[in-house]
Amino acid sequence: MVSQATTESQTPQEYAAPSTIEEALRSIADGDATILAGGTDLMLQTKPGGRLPYRRKLVNIRRIAGLRGVGEKDGRISIGALVTITDIANNELLKTAAPVLPQTADCFASGQIRNMGTVGGNICNASPAGDMIVPLLVLDAEVELSAWAKGAVATRLVPLSKFFTGPGRTVKQPNELLTRIVFARPDKKYSVGYIKSGPRPALEISTVSAALSAIRDNDKLSSVRIALGAVGPTVLRAVKAEAYLEGKTVNAQVVAETARLAAEDASPIDDVRATAWYRRHLIQVYVKRLLENDSQG
Amino acid sequence: MEPIAKKSLIGQRVPKPDAPDKATGRTTYINDMVLPKMLYGKILHAGRPHALIKNIDVSAAKALPGVYAVLTAADVPEMFFGVGRDNRPLKGGKVRCVRDEVAAVAAESEELCDEALRLIKVDYEDLPAVFDPAEGAKEGAPLIHDNKPGNRSLAYQFKHGDVAAAEASSDVVIDSVFNVHYVTHCCMGTSCVIADFDCDGKLTIYSQTQYPYNFKMDLAPALGIHPGDIRVIQPPVGGAFGSKLDVYPFEPVCALLAQAARRPVKLTFSREEEFINAPTRQPVRIHMRTGAKKDGTLTFRKVDCLLNNGAYTSWGPTVPFVMMRTFSSHFRVPNVDIDCRAIYTNNPYAGSFRGYGNVQATYATSIHADMMAEKLGMELLTFSLKNAQKSGEVTPQGARLNECVFAECLQKAADVTDFTAKHARYAAERNKPGRIKRGIGMASSIHNAGGAKIHKSDGCGTMIKLDDYARATVITGASEIGQGIDAVICQVVAEELGIPMSDITIVNNDSAIAPWDVGVHASRTTFIAGNAAQRAARKAREQMLNAASKRANMPADALDLREGWVVHDSDGTPVLKIDKLLREMHFSREPELVMVSEYYEPPSEPENKEHVGDMSAAYSHAVHVAEVEVDTETGEIRIVKFTSVQDVGRVINEMGLEAQLEGGIVMGIGYALSEELKIVNGQVRNPSFRDYKVLTAPEVPPMELHFIESHSSTGPMGAKGIAELPTIVPAPAIANAVYNAIGIRFFDPPMTPEKVARAIWERDSKLAAAE
Ligand SMILES: Cc1cc2nc3c(=O)[nH]c(=O)nc-3n(C[C@H](O)[C@H](O)[C@H](O)COP(=O)(O)OP(=O)(O)OC[C@H]3O[C@@H](n4cnc5c(N)ncnc54)[C@H](O)[C@@H]3O)c2cc1C
Repeated sequence: MVSQATTESQTPQEYAAPSTIEEALRSIADGDATILAGGTDLMLQTKPGGRLPYRRKLVNIRRIAGLRGVGEKDGRISIGALVTITDIANNELLKTAAPVLPQTADCFASGQIRNMGTVGGNICNASPAGDMIVPLLVLDAEVELSAWAKGAVATRLVPLSKFFTGPGRTVKQPNELLTRIVFARPDKKYSVGYIKSGPRPALEISTVSAALSAIRDNDKLSSVRIALGAVGPTVLRAVKAEAYLEGKTVNAQVVAETARLAAEDASPIDDVRATAWYRRHLIQVYVKRLLENDSQG
Repeated sequence: MEPIAKKSLIGQRVPKPDAPDKATGRTTYINDMVLPKMLYGKILHAGRPHALIKNIDVSAAKALPGVYAVLTAADVPEMFFGVGRDNRPLKGGKVRCVRDEVAAVAAESEELCDEALRLIKVDYEDLPAVFDPAEGAKEGAPLIHDNKPGNRSLAYQFKHGDVAAAEASSDVVIDSVFNVHYVTHCCMGTSCVIADFDCDGKLTIYSQTQYPYNFKMDLAPALGIHPGDIRVIQPPVGGAFGSKLDVYPFEPVCALLAQAARRPVKLTFSREEEFINAPTRQPVRIHMRTGAKKDGTLTFRKVDCLLNNGAYTSWGPTVPFVMMRTFSSHFRVPNVDIDCRAIYTNNPYAGSFRGYGNVQATYATSIHADMMAEKLGMELLTFSLKNAQKSGEVTPQGARLNECVFAECLQKAADVTDFTAKHARYAAERNKPGRIKRGIGMASSIHNAGGAKIHKSDGCGTMIKLDDYARATVITGASEIGQGIDAVICQVVAEELGIPMSDITIVNNDSAIAPWDVGVHASRTTFIAGNAAQRAARKAREQMLNAASKRANMPADALDLREGWVVHDSDGTPVLKIDKLLREMHFSREPELVMVSEYYEPPSEPENKEHVGDMSAAYSHAVHVAEVEVDTETGEIRIVKFTSVQDVGRVINEMGLEAQLEGGIVMGIGYALSEELKIVNGQVRNPSFRDYKVLTAPEVPPMELHFIESHSSTGPMGAKGIAELPTIVPAPAIANAVYNAIGIRFFDPPMTPEKVARAIWERDSKLAAAE
C-alpha cells in the first residue's frame, strides 16, 4: 500500500515519457503522478476550471510498446492497456473471438476520439457510462495491475467486477498502472450482445447501455452475465436478474421477469440527460431485446 | 472570331467564392485574429439569477502583474442600451440573470484574465427570483426592473373581423396550448470581438455583427460616444443565424476595456460561456383556438401568447411581429384575435434567430391544420388546398400575395411523397402490433420573401467600379456571414457585365467603405442586395454600351456584353474586347471611368399602429413532408425521408439554394427532436455539445428538395428570399408524422426519446387500467 502525500496543482511540475513498463512503474512509484494515455478524458478534466488537479508529475505512457497489442495464449485473450478503440473495432482476433467488443467500439464516440482513446483509459476513468466496461464485465474480464515493488515489477489480477468502487474510483493504487485486460476465450455456444441508447449512439454519453452473455444450449441459459452502464455509481452487474435467469429457458414470461429484476438491480438517478424512470424503462427494453437476440437497437 | 452565344449564369450551380479557403483552413476568422499589442479580455458573470451586489473587491485582481484594466459598473458611465433600453454593459446594484456581467478584466493572456477573475470578490445578497412568466405577471411577484411594473415588457395585439361571431358559426373548434422551448444558435465560431481606440477617441471594432450600420447606432449609447466615431470591420465569422443582430454586453465591455487599457482588446467566449451567455430562440406559450366549417373553411383563430422575456429585452420579445403574420395569414383566416405579452423573468434572454417567431407560430398553425382536418374527417391535402390563398389575395394584416403558388407547393409535395395514400395506410396500421411504427406528416408556412420593413428603410447601397483590365469591384452594404451572398452578387453582376465571376471582387466588410444596408435578416439579402447589385450593374452596363456604341457606330441596344467581349446582340459577332473598351474610355480625350452606385429600397411599407401594412416586397410558401419511424419502446424517432417544396421565385445559385435549405432543415429537425437549452431556476443545465444535442451527420435524413419558380415581379431576376422557411416548417411536419405513426400529439417540443417513450407508456398504462 502506498499512501504518500500527493501534490495537486493546475499544471504538473514534471513530465516523463517512458518507453518501457518498468521505466513507467519506477517513475510513478511514489504515487504522486498523473497518467496520460489518450487524454480524451484527462484533458477535459484537468483543463483550467476542470474538476481534477494534476499530481506532481505527468507521465505519458503512450510510447510504451509493451502496453499495445491484442493476443491469445492458452485460451486467454489479452488486450494491452494502450489498445485504442479503433484498434478494437478493427482487430481480427476480437472480431472472431469476442465480436461484442468490436461491436461496442462501433458505438463509441467519433473517429477522432476512437483513434486517441484507449481501453485502459476507459476502464481507469471509471465512468458509470464507460462503454468498453459493459461488455468486458459480461466476458468476466480481469485487469492486470502492475507496480514497482522491492526492486521488481509486481503484478496482480483483479476481476473487473471488483475493480470499481464508485464514480471515478477504483481499487487501483496511485503507484499502479493498468497493464492489460485478460479474459477466457468465450465458448462456442456463448452468445453476447450489447446495446447502447441514444438517437445518435456514437456521440452519446450513454443514458443506458446493457450487455448480456450466456451459454445457450437449446434456449436454456447458463453462465448468465448481465451488465448495465449509466444506471448506478459504477457500471454494474444485474445480480438478481442473472440469478433468476440461470438455468432457465427463454420464454415471454422469463424475459419479462428478467427485465423487471434487472431494472431493480440498477440504481439510476435523474440528471440532465434522462430521468431515472426512463433509464429503468430502457433497461427493461434492452434486456428484453438482448434476450430475444435482437440487438439492432 | 467565332460568334459568342448568349449564356446565362442564373440558375447555375456556383460554388461560394469563400469556400476553398474555408475548406482548406486558410480563412482567418475573427476568432483567429491577433493585432499588435493586443490584450485579452474576460467577463465575470454573476452565475446567480437575482441578487443584490453588496460589495465588489477588485484590488487583488488589479495588483496582478500583466493585468491592464479591471472594470466594474462603478468605473463606467451609467449608460443603457438594447432594444428595450434596459441593459447595461456592466451591472451595478443588482444582477437579474446568471449571465449578468459584473466585472471585466484585460490582461496579457486569457489565462491571466482567468486568474484575475478568480481574485475578484463579490458579495451578493440573493433575492427571490421568478422564472415563469405567468408567475412573473402576478401581483407581488419579485420585481426585476424598478421601472417595469408588473414585469411587463413588450405587448402586441392584432384583431380583424369578428372572432366571437365566427366561433358561433363554426362547426368545429379546437383549442390547444403549445409550449415551444429554448434553443440556441450553436454558431461554430463562439462570440468574439476586438476593440481598438485611436488617440482621438474613435473606435474601430472588429465584429461578428450581421448588421454593421445600425450596430453603430446601437453600440454608441452603451459607450457614450457618437455613432459616427465607430468603424465596424467584419472579418469572416463562423455563423450567425440571427444571434448577431443586436449589441450584446460583451461588445461594449470589450470596448470599455480597450478604452481603459489604451490597447486593442479581444474578448472571446468559451463554448460553455457561449451556451450560457449567447442569446436563445424566444420560448413561447401559445394558446390557440381555431374554428372551421364542415366543408373545411377556416373561420377564425384566437391566439394568446405569453413570452418569457428573460432579464433584458433584445429582439426575442419582438417576435410577435412575425408570429402575428403567421397566425393571420398561414392559410386564409377571415377572423383573428391575437394577444401577445412578454413578461420579465430572471432567465437568460432571447435574441433573433432564423425564422424569427415563425418557427414557434408555425408549430401551432401547422399542427392545428392537421388536427382540424382529422376532426373534420378530411384529407389534410384537401383541407389545406381549400384554405390556401391564391395570387392577388390580401391578408388581414395587409400582405399582398403576388405570385402566390401555395396550392402548387401543396399539390407537388403530396404528389412526390404519395402523401395521401401513405397517410391513410399508416393511420390504419397504427394500432396493429409491432414495435416500429411508420408515419408521414405534412406542414407548411408563409414567410416574407422580399425583406421586411421594420426599420425606416429596408434598403441596400451598392457601388461598382471597373478597372482598366475589366476587373470589377462590387462594394455592397450586404454582409457575408456564410449564407452565400457573395456568390449571388458575383452572378448577378457578371450576368450584366459579361465578365467572368472570377474577375469580380466583393468588398463588404468595412463600414467606412461600403454603403448602408439594414443587415442580414428576414431572408432579405439575395432579394434586396441582389436587386441593388443588378441595378448598379445595369448602370455600368449602360455606360459601357454607350461608349461602345460610339466606337462601333451602332445603337447601344444592338450591342451586348458577353464573355469579355462587346458583341452584336443579334448574332453574337465580337466587336471589341471589354478591357480594351474600358481603357479607351479611360484614356481618351473625354476620359471616363466606370464607377456607379445605387441605393435600392424595396416597394414595401412599414406596419401602421394596428399592425397592418404590406411590409415585404414578396411573400413565399414552403411545404415539408416528413416520413418517420417511431420505436415505440425506446421512443426514438428516425426520419426516413424529408421532402421540401418551396416557392423560391427563381433559382439563382442552385448550389447555394440547396445548402441554405439543407442547413435550415437540419436546424429545424434539431428543434423538433433533440435540441433544447435546459434552463432550470435560471441556470443553464447543459452548456456543452455533449448535453445540448445538435444533429450530427449520421442523423441527417435523405432529403428531396423541389423548387417552385413563381417569378417574383419585384425580385432580382425573379428570385425571392428563401433562407428561413427551411427552418420554420420541419418541426410540425415531424410532429404530424409522429401523430400519424402513434396517435399522440406533442405540443411541447423537442420530441426526445424519453418524452415519446413516456407518452406512449402513459397512454398504454391508462388503456390497460381501463380494460
Ligand atoms: C467527444 C468525446 C466522446 C466520447 N465518447 C465516449 C463514448 O462514446 N463512450 C465512452 O465510454 N467514452 C467516451 N468518451 C470518453 C473517453 O474518450 C474514453 O473514456 C476513453 O476510452 C478514455 O481513454 P484515454 O486513453 O483517452 O484516457 P485518458 O484520458 O488518457 O485517461 C483517463 C483516465 O485513466 C487514467 N489512465 C489511463 N490509462 C491508464 C493506465 N494504463 N493505467 C492507469 N491509469 C490510466 C488516466 O490517468 C485518467 O485518469 C468520450 C470522450 C469525448 C471527449
